[in-house]
Amino acid sequence: MEEKNIILSVKNLEVKFKVRDRVLTAIRNVSLDFEEGKVVAIVGESGSGKSVFTKTFTGMLEVNGEVSNGEIWFEGRNLMDIKNDKGWEEIRGKKIATVFQDPMTSLNPVRTIGYQISEVIMKHQGKSKAEAKAEAIELMEKVGIKDAERRYDEYPFMYSGGMRQRIVIAIALACHPKILICDEPTTALDVTIQAQIIHLIKDLAEEYGFTTIYITHDLGVVANVADYVAVMYAGQIIEYGTVEDIFYNSKHPYTWGLLSSLPQLGLKGEELFAIRGTPPSLFEEVKGDAFAPRSNYSLKIDFEKEPPIFKVSDTHWAKTWLLDPRAPKVEPPAVITSLHERMLEMTKKGGVYGER
Amino acid sequence: MRKYILKRILRSIISVFIVVSIVIAMIFTLIPRTKVLDLDTSYRKMTGDNKTAYRFTTFEKLGYLDFVRISDICAESENPSACSVNKSAEQQAMLEKYENDGYTVEYFRNGTPYAYHDYTVFELALNFWKNLVKFDSVNFVEKTYGVTDLEKKYYIGKDENNFPAIMCSGCEYKYQVYFGHGFPFVHQNMVKLYFGISFPTKSGMHTLDVINEEQGSQKAILQTFPTGVELESPLNQMTAKYKPNVDHLDQTRFTDNYADCKSYYESPSMVETSYIFGIISLVIAYAIGLPAGMGMARNKDGIWDKLGVAIINFLIALPSLALIFFVRQIGSMVFQLPDKFPLLGFGNIKSYIAPILILSLLSLPGLMTWTRRYMIDQSNSDYVKFAKAKGLSQREIFTKHILKNAVIPIVNGIPASIILCISGALITESAFAIPGMGKMLPDAINKMNNNMVITLTFIFAALSIFSVLLGDLLMTLVDPRIQLAEKKRGSE
Repeated sequence: MEEKNIILSVKNLEVKFKVRDRVLTAIRNVSLDFEEGKVVAIVGESGSGKSVFTKTFTGMLEVNGEVSNGEIWFEGRNLMDIKNDKGWEEIRGKKIATVFQDPMTSLNPVRTIGYQISEVIMKHQGKSKAEAKAEAIELMEKVGIKDAERRYDEYPFMYSGGMRQRIVIAIALACHPKILICDEPTTALDVTIQAQIIHLIKDLAEEYGFTTIYITHDLGVVANVADYVAVMYAGQIIEYGTVEDIFYNSKHPYTWGLLSSLPQLGLKGEELFAIRGTPPSLFEEVKGDAFAPRSNYSLKIDFEKEPPIFKVSDTHWAKTWLLDPRAPKVEPPAVITSLHERMLEMTKKGGVYGER
Repeated sequence: MRKYILKRILRSIISVFIVVSIVIAMIFTLIPRTKVLDLDTSYRKMTGDNKTAYRFTTFEKLGYLDFVRISDICAESENPSACSVNKSAEQQAMLEKYENDGYTVEYFRNGTPYAYHDYTVFELALNFWKNLVKFDSVNFVEKTYGVTDLEKKYYIGKDENNFPAIMCSGCEYKYQVYFGHGFPFVHQNMVKLYFGISFPTKSGMHTLDVINEEQGSQKAILQTFPTGVELESPLNQMTAKYKPNVDHLDQTRFTDNYADCKSYYESPSMVETSYIFGIISLVIAYAIGLPAGMGMARNKDGIWDKLGVAIINFLIALPSLALIFFVRQIGSMVFQLPDKFPLLGFGNIKSYIAPILILSLLSLPGLMTWTRRYMIDQSNSDYVKFAKAKGLSQREIFTKHILKNAVIPIVNGIPASIILCISGALITESAFAIPGMGKMLPDAINKMNNNMVITLTFIFAALSIFSVLLGDLLMTLVDPRIQLAEKKRGSE
């Protein structure tokens, strides 16, 4: 097995928020390595801590949040040693860039597109105004803006949503970052544009060679672009593996639930699956497996002791007692086992999955 | 854009027209006209026919009615001498004719008849608008005084200070457009607005002149007259009007009949007075309020922010009346500042300190609150988050991104604040006895000075509407999203 090239390594990360005098633990002891040049998708329901997790990489936590434990190693240093914004400015944008969910509001409405792109180039690369402009126009063309020279001086309101997201991506790439975090980059866009943006990011990742971290609800996107998938639940990564591992050989009941509830998989006449219940409150300490109360496969030990990480293969691990040799053998739901066929069936009519 | 502005101006004019017309109708129909004379001392002393005649001439002067004496009636008759004999057939016929025209005929106690016609609301409004704008023309002298031998022409001449001026022979005013002291430094006499006559305060003066003319005692200035005479005189030659009969004194100074001049006075006009105070305090309030609000927003929840909020709350909670008298008292007791403006007057800088401080303090809390609020609003927006993710420093985000957004609503309000300084500050001006505009409207209402009320309504309405328009135009300069045109939006 070849040596993995780890670009960012998270160790025992714990993030706490102070909310009205109570303490909420949003990230509970997460460790994860990101391989250089790969695409990692982080999936999970709202409130599972996906965004918070990635925000710690750039020191962008809200003021009431703090990293209470853990290390994030990047380029030979622990990012958690950075204490002020000044230090983070060396990382943000320059080394780790972020694309946010809503392109409609991510750009300053009263500054020209060109200004907002060249600003970053000038700041991080120390280029002159003219050089920055030339590079910005080149970037705009790269992200698929036609007639970039003219549109350089236009304002965001003159751009459509998809175009704006392209600009946001151009800005994010302006400094050739090592890592690009895409925080639900397509949620606010319509389906046809979604596919275009996903492809754009994919192509650019190949060209610039950056590592991509996707945060998304959309398993269709995951299937299409990701190399690895991390499934998050209640502030923890409960399963991690290659996209094939997760889609065809998932081990955690929560992952099964997620996959079964894909609306695209619903067949006519068949009731769509939904995970019952709600996630646990993170204000209190979670005992055992956080998913146990909602799971159809929970064992007695799930309510008592937190499951350790069980390795399934070199690339695949999950945190569930079901993988313990002593656990009873359970079969994943039928929908999951026929997932591949169902997805092919579905994407025959068109869609992202089949193109992979 | 130009089309839009024209449309806006047109709509503004119509709005002013409607507002003023309504005010005219209200004032002339709802206020009993006899009240107008209540405060007139000379009227109260009069008795008999004199009183009646005075009443009608006053009402005519104020625009309520058309009053005709028997001499005017008979002037139209074929046999004036027979007509002027009371109860003669000719007189009866003429009176009947007037009655048929809608006039009411009444008799003085001595038996002499007179006729009057009350204007209806529509006639009142119509008369107002008809007389509102007066253009000066080269034919003025010929038409008004029947003088035919005066050359009729416009020409470019030099005024007494050797500045060029557009001058006219044959017009009412000799100087049509000229440079002069006082804002806006280029003055004109070609178009004049006429709003009627002030009564009973400043009786007989045009309402516009009341608020617009300099006040105080006359100020003599050393100047050279057209005849070459050099002397100290308060006359303002730029305001020379045609005078049909020049006296000997005039002839020593002027070479032509343009000898009817206004005078220079020591103190600025009411408008100018209010403006001096308004603008200076406005500049101070903005100079302090904007940076303070921005600083507070930038260090939100910091010590300075908390202190600022405390000050704002204190200033808002303190009734303005209390603030005014408090500052005035402190000023006069501790710093020996005058507690009444006329004590030291316009010439002394000490007269200004306390009122300007008060006016600034009054507008400061609002300005600070709004600036702070706009800034904080903006700093919570997504583009700021993204700018942070781009790696910009707090300072860069503030100066390059937030500021430009937050300033938009502030810019919108600036023209209104500047222009509406003209309306003066009622309480502060009263407290210091400053001869400004603030007291004009309430005074005019109290004294039944109806024409003045209409004049002020017109001025305030027009200025408010146009300052809103100006604010919008100014906003297009800072906000690219706003385009004052009904054209299609940008591409895609």
